[in-house]
Amino acid sequence: MADRHGHRCSYAAKLAILTCALLLVAGVMDAVTAQSLSFGSRQPATASSSASFFGWIFSQQAAFYRSLSALVRASKTDGAAIWALLGFSFLYGVFHAAGPGHGKAVISSYLVANNETWKRGVTLSFASAMLQAIVAIAIVAIGAVVLEVTAKAMGDAVRVIEIVSYGLVVLIGVRLLWVKGRSFLRSCRDIRRARSLGAAAATERRAPDFSEAEAGCGCHHHGQHHGQPRDHFRHEHSARKDGDPACDHDHASACGHAHGPEPEGLAGAGGWRRGFAAVLAVGARPCSGAIIILVFALSQDMFWTGMGSALMMGAGTAITIAAIATLAVCARDLAGRMTAARPGRGVLVMKGIEVGAAAMIIAVGLFLLTGFMASEQLWTFSA
Amino acid sequence: MARIPCDSDRRRYSAALVLIALGIMSQIRAIICLALLFLAATPMSAGAHPHVWVTIRSEVLYTPEGLMTGIRHAWTFDDMFSAYALQGIQHAKKGQYTREELSSLADVNVTSLKENDYFTYAKADGRKAVFSDPVDYWLEYKDSALILHFTLPLKAPVAAKAMLIEVYDPTIFVDFGLAKDQPVALAGAPASCQLIVDSSRAPTADEQLRMSQLDQNPLDSLDTFGQGFSNKIRIKCP
Repeated sequence: MADRHGHRCSYAAKLAILTCALLLVAGVMDAVTAQSLSFGSRQPATASSSASFFGWIFSQQAAFYRSLSALVRASKTDGAAIWALLGFSFLYGVFHAAGPGHGKAVISSYLVANNETWKRGVTLSFASAMLQAIVAIAIVAIGAVVLEVTAKAMGDAVRVIEIVSYGLVVLIGVRLLWVKGRSFLRSCRDIRRARSLGAAAATERRAPDFSEAEAGCGCHHHGQHHGQPRDHFRHEHSARKDGDPACDHDHASACGHAHGPEPEGLAGAGGWRRGFAAVLAVGARPCSGAIIILVFALSQDMFWTGMGSALMMGAGTAITIAAIATLAVCARDLAGRMTAARPGRGVLVMKGIEVGAAAMIIAVGLFLLTGFMASEQLWTFSA
Repeated sequence: MARIPCDSDRRRYSAALVLIALGIMSQIRAIICLALLFLAATPMSAGAHPHVWVTIRSEVLYTPEGLMTGIRHAWTFDDMFSAYALQGIQHAKKGQYTREELSSLADVNVTSLKENDYFTYAKADGRKAVFSDPVDYWLEYKDSALILHFTLPLKAPVAAKAMLIEVYDPTIFVDFGLAKDQPVALAGAPASCQLIVDSSRAPTADEQLRMSQLDQNPLDSLDTFGQGFSNKIRIKCP
């Protein structure tokens, strides 16, 4: 019975992955055709409808941005204009966050590497996006209102914050790589040892159970019993321990990606402190759009209105980053379910993914630090 | 099998995923998952190229003998860029900036424009005409906007049957557009010369899409993508 369910489970995962893969391929094809079409060609935009659609969205977004200054000015006299300004600022944040910026890459890699829950992913996304808005407000409030420095000086301040936050990204990546790398190597060793013991019968008996236990680490589980995933694991853990002593270490590696052995991986108070570093790394660097609208609002004696706009941009950014974070958590869980059918190697694959995600964070951080991956520029033109 | 109850049974949940994969929508969360995957796969980025908007008003200058000597620009920056550039510039009267108060900013502007060839490219009868450094430049503040006045002299005055002057940013960081009324004038040109002005065209949706990705994939110096959106000043002197 359990065996059959295990099979169905893996079928489901495979089908889901297949569908996603098809969608991905379709999307990539779209992107490629869009690129090759627009590459210096004079063809009208009739060839790919999705490119036209997104092109239209981007032209709308540019229009949002350009309308912000007029709305700030209008809201001096017209109360309704403030609502329009806040709405456009929000939309600008939603679209703009989908663009360049390291936030999404770092947050989603972090969530994958750390096997974070969806709820935590969303919280981290919101915290970092709102921090971004607050830093922008603080820079303009201190730099422009109090110290009255030039735009260039504020740009320099942003540059310093940028370097510190990129450095922090690298540090987080290194720390995760250290933890996850060791855990990966440990699992490797465990599996080799288990195989050398040659307990063929035991493996046969255990296999279906594990697929179930592994499925418990999935996305849906997080949604439903969010509060106590560890208790749940622990409960199963002890139950198995009674039944089958050989289960002990295997279980820890089967379900304990991050929750299990390492104390750093635990959610809770320590977990939030740990998450704080990620929030700081992603959220410390303010969005230049927010700084510019704030400076403009200040020039129009509308700083409070500008603050509202910056905060709404932050909220819009948060929505987009949270969506991408959700995607990362989902993707990880799909992978988790797919590998669930293969107790030993499946765990190894998941741990490998975690190591890869940690390495990805380091790479993003290094690219950002060395300027290889350009982040948004504040005006190169006047400063 | 048609309706899968939403309970904690993970195996049933997985079965629901199969159904969704087949196109039967019964689990909102999984649909969101797949929709997000699709969204992530589509070209989705919104870098705000261009970042600065400039409205052009220019005069093409001639000697009494009918040689073209250069071009005098008056570029109006958009109000957000103007406010940003003006931040921290000391001025005596609130909301007003004199030419002297803005002189250091004008220096900075002109210096950084040099790196971009002043976004002005000229061809005399098909051959490239070279400009030297600008003279007579200053900034003006009017209606919450900065206006940069500067004159670009040609290294050597030319008499050309067909003169083409293009104003554009090859990297599309700055968007140049012609002023609505009388954007270009000829100052002292022979009466037989004819002026034709073509404003930059609006990007198509595909081009717009590419522009939105320029922050991640910047244009290199050989790329002619930006030139496709140039403002063209043509002067025909038979």
